[in-house]
Amino acid sequence: MKILVYGQIRDNLLEENLLGILNKLSEVFQGSEIYAAILGSQINNEWTGELGKHGVKKVYTVEAPELENYLSRPYVKSMLEIIEKAEPTLVMAAGTVFGEDLIPRLAVHHGVSCAQRVVNITLEGEDILFHTPVRDDQAMKITKIEGVIKFATSRTGAFFENENPSGSAPEIEKVEISFDADDMVVKHVEVRKAERTVNLKDAKLIVAGGRGVGGKDNFQILKDLAELLGGEIGATRACTDVHWIEETYEIGQTGQSVSPDIYIAAGISGAPQHLSGVKAKTFIAINTDEGAPILKYADYGIIGDLLVILPLLKKKLE
Amino acid sequence: MKIIVFIDQIVSTQVKLQGVDYFDPSKVNEDDLVINPTSKNAIEGALKLKDSLEATVTAVCVRGLKPIKALREAIAMGCTDAIEIADEILYTEDPLLLAKIYVDVLEKFGDFDLVFLGVEEQSTSSYAVGAMLAEKLGLPSVLYAEEMETIDSGFQVGHVLEGGRNIVTIPKKALISVSDSQYFTPRYTSMRGILTAKRAEIPSWTAADLGLSTGVAGKEAASLQQVSLTNIVIERESYIINEGEPEEMVDKLLAKLKEDEVKLGA
Ligand SMILES: Cc1cc2nc3c(=O)[nH]c(=O)nc-3n(C[C@H](O)[C@H](O)[C@H](O)COP(=O)(O)OP(=O)(O)OC[C@H]3O[C@@H](n4cnc5c(N)ncnc54)[C@H](O)[C@@H]3O)c2cc1C
Repeated sequence: MKILVYGQIRDNLLEENLLGILNKLSEVFQGSEIYAAILGSQINNEWTGELGKHGVKKVYTVEAPELENYLSRPYVKSMLEIIEKAEPTLVMAAGTVFGEDLIPRLAVHHGVSCAQRVVNITLEGEDILFHTPVRDDQAMKITKIEGVIKFATSRTGAFFENENPSGSAPEIEKVEISFDADDMVVKHVEVRKAERTVNLKDAKLIVAGGRGVGGKDNFQILKDLAELLGGEIGATRACTDVHWIEETYEIGQTGQSVSPDIYIAAGISGAPQHLSGVKAKTFIAINTDEGAPILKYADYGIIGDLLVILPLLKKKLE
Repeated sequence: MKIIVFIDQIVSTQVKLQGVDYFDPSKVNEDDLVINPTSKNAIEGALKLKDSLEATVTAVCVRGLKPIKALREAIAMGCTDAIEIADEILYTEDPLLLAKIYVDVLEKFGDFDLVFLGVEEQSTSSYAVGAMLAEKLGLPSVLYAEEMETIDSGFQVGHVLEGGRNIVTIPKKALISVSDSQYFTPRYTSMRGILTAKRAEIPSWTAADLGLSTGVAGKEAASLQQVSLTNIVIERESYIINEGEPEEMVDKLLAKLKEDEVKLGA
């Protein structure tokens, strides 16, 4: 069996979730050949080398100025061409914003559906089963795809990379593709990068706030508690989007990944995109809504108003 | 300018149903049914343009136990009109089939400029309908939009991106999938809107009206087949304090942490 992965490049590096996918794929589909596709305006040998190390046998590359930034049409066009050459049974990408844009479109061109954000892949007879959490991770849906080629993305953070990869340099096949004006109707303007001024990776304790914090000034309550406990603060995208707190504090799929001993989540509902960035030994949640999904992940929880609970907690700890 | 918003109706996350029960119609009350939160974000995106570009906004609901309820709310928010698509044969769990149904709705609808929809977190959780629909229609598109502004050639849109926000421009005829952000914070329904909604005549289209049969839009046509759906059981003993005065609650938490030898802070 042949498998093709989309070798997404992010900030000049291979997307980190790709290595986890490669590890998972070689575990589940032993004896299969794994290929990768890298698209860009300039392809770096280090990327292809790293893919080889992680078990990729062959890398298809497309180099063109039009591929400098991800745009659906030129990327779909290139990937369709590569799929035709590689003849894979399974095409996978990391479930990043761009991976999730690409995979369903490729599936449409092959007349099939796709499975997004899978957290596990298993085999049952001839069938490949895709495990996807649904409804705020309350239920697990297992699906299979009818069709010659199956298309899927993994949820970011779902799979772990092989710490001791031993693959060798892959074969490289350069693919030429030409683009026309119609491919470039959507135009890239810029990436507004969140300034990463604070690194939360090594924080031992994080007091994180969500929309329930209610405003910019209230973040001071979280800062005070974090300071007292020698920790850092964090936030959901809902808070950084409204500039209640600097973007550097965003935690989750599109923010920082953290693994503190203690994570205090205040006024956070528990969206999978947020939680996929949090691995904590002890999880404490404060939420007014008893039904909030976050409480399922909490070791400890208080159903109450964070604006009351957090100051009290601080007072008692002083 | 004609704008179409495809909305989903879901079981509110506020009700105490858990896991698979959400998907069991016999356990769901009509009161529990709400517009998918990101569908509301999508409605807001459309309504902002209705105000600034004198557009008409038509809400369409295919997924839901009582679409008409969601559509009345959409009109109460400010949508010009609405169309209900209701037919038992339509299978909407497969994003490709749902996208196909949307294509046929648009065909019957006629001329349109912009298509809005929300992220499917709480509904199909497929995260694929927007991209599939755009691809089927050959429409330029942007997914997970967080902000947009009108420019001469169309729109400049900022969307969610790992590590920040990505800014692109799209032409006037396009598809936008909208995520939960400040810019797209949904407005409340107005008194006048509620009255309009009450009186509004909402046409209901069936599969036959769209020229769809079970063979093409029913469960048997799905390429994504559900093998099982089970509750996720998290093996974690949660100690949740849901009673008492705030001070008692905090004391209880601290006592329990001490008992479990969990140290807060250094
Ligand atoms: C592609 C994509 C990527 C994303 N990446 C990320 C990411 O990396 N990180 C991220 O965080 N989000 C991300 N998001 C957004 C994510 O889907 C959610 O919208 C977001 O995490 C919700 O934030 P929240 O929990 O703060 O807000 P909400 O979901 O609105 O929850 C607020 C919570 O606060 C509670 N509350 C309200 N008032 C109080 C009070 N006074 N006291 C206590 N509790 C209260 C409410 O009950 C509720 O549970 C992404 C979205 C997309 C589409």
